[in-house]
Amino acid sequence: MDLAVYDLKLHRGRFIATVLGVGLLFTIVLAMNGLYRGNIHEGLALIKATNPDLWVVERYRGGPFNEQSTLPEFYHYSVKAMAGVEKASPFIYYTVERPIGAKSQQFSIIGFDIFGGLGGPQKIYAGRNIEQAHYEMVAHPKLGARVGDRIPLGIHLYTVVGLTREAVSSNGDPLVYLSLPDAQEVLFQRDNEQMRNQRERLLRTLSGQSYLSPSQSEKLLPQLQSDTHIINAILVRLKPEVNRAEVARDIEKWLYLSAFSTEEELALMLKGRLASMAKQLLLFRTLLLIISVIIVSLVIYTFTMEKIRSIAVMKLLGAPNWVIIRMVMEQSLLLTIGAFLFGLALIHNTYQLFPRTLLLIPDDDLVTFIVAFAGGIIASILGLWHALKTQPAMALGG
Amino acid sequence: MEILRIEGLSKIFGSGHLEVRALEDIKLSVSEGDLVALLGPSGSGKTTLLLCISLILDPTGGKIVFDGQTIFQKNGWAGVDVRRTRREKIGFIFQSHNLIPFLTAKQNVLFPLSLIGLKKEEAESRAMELLRYMEIVDRADYLPALLSGGEQQRVAVARALANNAKLILADEPTASLDTSRGKKVMELLKKIAKENRSAVIVVTHDVRMIEGFDCVYQLKDGRIVDEKTNSA
Repeated sequence: MDLAVYDLKLHRGRFIATVLGVGLLFTIVLAMNGLYRGNIHEGLALIKATNPDLWVVERYRGGPFNEQSTLPEFYHYSVKAMAGVEKASPFIYYTVERPIGAKSQQFSIIGFDIFGGLGGPQKIYAGRNIEQAHYEMVAHPKLGARVGDRIPLGIHLYTVVGLTREAVSSNGDPLVYLSLPDAQEVLFQRDNEQMRNQRERLLRTLSGQSYLSPSQSEKLLPQLQSDTHIINAILVRLKPEVNRAEVARDIEKWLYLSAFSTEEELALMLKGRLASMAKQLLLFRTLLLIISVIIVSLVIYTFTMEKIRSIAVMKLLGAPNWVIIRMVMEQSLLLTIGAFLFGLALIHNTYQLFPRTLLLIPDDDLVTFIVAFAGGIIASILGLWHALKTQPAMALGG
Repeated sequence: MEILRIEGLSKIFGSGHLEVRALEDIKLSVSEGDLVALLGPSGSGKTTLLLCISLILDPTGGKIVFDGQTIFQKNGWAGVDVRRTRREKIGFIFQSHNLIPFLTAKQNVLFPLSLIGLKKEEAESRAMELLRYMEIVDRADYLPALLSGGEQQRVAVARALANNAKLILADEPTASLDTSRGKKVMELLKKIAKENRSAVIVVTHDVRMIEGFDCVYQLKDGRIVDEKTNSA
């Protein structure tokens, strides 16, 4: 005789309400699992998609994604000249926020050598790759642009020539691929007024030097403008059968730069930017699971307390303890499993509505279910304790 | 045939200056077909005695012989599984019926049958038979909340009879009923005792009903002070 089910049938309204409430908590836990996986996936996607043999960055910097790295563009020639290096391409990556269509949107720009260089989009599903040196872009569909759209960046219009969904930026923003000079221009191009001010300031500084005549100052001015030929990393492809560690060591030793393999670059992200996010999400998930268990345990305790006299009657009629244990624990597990299944169904039907990518994987669902199941058992302990210490004598009397 | 014999039963709560002698030197004997009353005012020890007979409360001393087996003596329960004895040999009727509220009338009767491991079909048939016997079969699928007090009482009796109990213990079954309804319950208990060859012990302080009993034990301050036997 399934006492738990009969009791729940009588209290089905409260049972359903609790299942929905706790189910929403499980939805958040599962969403955070997906968010965690999604963040890891997105955080590493660009590195994995680019996948050069070596990432060469500013010395002692864990760049270009985990930490800022700045290099003069011409350094890639030096890297190219190293023994074992087949190709070395300049690479620039930064995040901007610009109006796209009617709304302001954040996205990341990648500048690469479009003439056979590394770091460009690999899989274009609509349109083509960038073929002209200027004013063409390949974008992620999340940007909301279509092939042929013309998007203003800085003082120029850029035509979307292709779409790729290969990767997003490490913080989930859509990627926009530009030629290296275009990317540098978008990053460093200043407003005309600002440039005029800067020139004036510089000219005034030079004019103050007694050893420079005004005409000399004027002539020097263009040479002292800030350099825009800046990159963040150099992507390296090695010749076949070359020892990657050795080349990396040589680059570090002779060029005073840092060089990482793609695996090391992934590890940098996992231990760096992604680690604190992972810890934070783990903490949230743990707290939410604890809250779920507390709510289930309070509900089960209330359910148990409401039928404490019935439990006393059952004991008086000779019901063994397992009958009582089964009833209380079954209710707790029905509630927990019902709530979990509701949460699972909800998140699997709504994950696309979340602004960040939720990557839901069966293993995470299973682990969460096991934790929830164990939580359901723990939640029944308080009710069980009270039920088992109920004296059958309570059934007697008015 | 003797169902229950109690000899020199005592129950003491607390110790030292807090000691309370709830029962002292209780002697009684109940045979099959007997309808016996334990009568007394509040605090006379009748509920304590009922708890001891129900195998819920450990007596302090004395001897209980139940169904031909000594189940309690000086040293405690004589290797008896008290819950098993209760579910297989004792039936209970309560003042407030104490039906399990989330089970229908039939399921309430089925519950003790499920505890003794009766097969489902057999249990269902027995439950329906009992409900028919108690003239409540048309309410078999009703929850207790939808039954009147009298109907609940009949379901409670059907439940008490489910395990073919040798001994039926009734706790104040007429306390909340008017005289005519109380008498009907007494007639029912008498009928059960005779037809089922069970012994029925009723704890009551309802002096209106004492005429219906085969034997009335009057308790006062934990002792049996009077024993009356009504000849049929």
